[in-house]
Amino acid sequence: MILLGKIVMGMAGAALTGAGVLCSEGLIHVKVIEKEPHGPHINVIAPAMLAPIAVHFALQHDLARAAREIQPCMPAIRAALDGLRDTDDVVFVEVKEPDERVRVSKSGGSIVVDVDDAGEIVHVSTPIRAISSTVEQLAAASSNPL
Amino acid sequence: MRETMTVLCLLAAGAMAVAGPAVAAPAEKYLHVNVEDPTKGESVNVNVTLSMAEKILPAINNHNLHDGKVLIHNTELNGVDVRALLDAVRTAPDNEFVAVKDKDSDVHVAKANGNIIVHVIDKKNKEQKVDVTVPLKVVDALFETAKNDELDIAAALRALSDAGDILLVTVQDSSQKVRVWVDSRNTQD
Repeated sequence: MILLGKIVMGMAGAALTGAGVLCSEGLIHVKVIEKEPHGPHINVIAPAMLAPIAVHFALQHDLARAAREIQPCMPAIRAALDGLRDTDDVVFVEVKEPDERVRVSKSGGSIVVDVDDAGEIVHVSTPIRAISSTVEQLAAASSNPL
Repeated sequence: MRETMTVLCLLAAGAMAVAGPAVAAPAEKYLHVNVEDPTKGESVNVNVTLSMAEKILPAINNHNLHDGKVLIHNTELNGVDVRALLDAVRTAPDNEFVAVKDKDSDVHVAKANGNIIVHVIDKKNKEQKVDVTVPLKVVDALFETAKNDELDIAAALRALSDAGDILLVTVQDSSQKVRVWVDSRNTQD
């Protein structure tokens, strides 16, 4: 009975540690609410650590093209991400039109994009660290084809 | 007891001396852009930290922009020695330097309180009014370290950070209003 308890505790500990490692880069949150009656509601919360890993599973042809295209912009992207990390929480862009609202902000280490238009409400929140890792992974793909 | 108090006071003074510069560190400056079009019910707000812009700019090398400097073609200057012109303006007392009025436009350029101030009224274009205020220090920074055919935008941003809160540009016509300004607040409220 004690042995069983130890095994369960060990498994729970491993699961907790695994979950902790998986969430160490924060969480990506995507929420889409269609405004039409009975429209689908999508709400996905995923560990941000999966984003750079997902790059490995992208189609090699598409990945190579994306990597080539992103390469010239990498110094600017790195500088922007560095700047974003250091800056306080702020709304970078807010566009209001009679039937549409778009807001891009930094909130608690994440870049948050909110769109509210006639058809749907979209909320995407991505940790800056995850964006950085994913972009670096993508850029590396051009020098080391997967 | 007295010795302990003395040591504590000295420690506190030391801590304050160390913390002093951190407390006195200049606040982050934000460049704000606000476009309002009440006739269409539209508005656009942009808020960017100047420090972030300073970091990003030198990393962009594209067309005429390199290392935070913009290349100006000589033809665009029409043979005007901008440095000499600026030197003359810098040393001149506050005054209105240019006033041009014709049937299409009304242009005034003046120097006041260390700023270059430009007022333009475009009579042809919906009575559009443009007001530009640029601190002379920012204009100086544009040219200080740049070559003859360059403008040092990164240096100008640094100078702008030190220039204090300022309304840089307002553009107003019958439908739209545009404002560009710098302050230490991260919102436009």
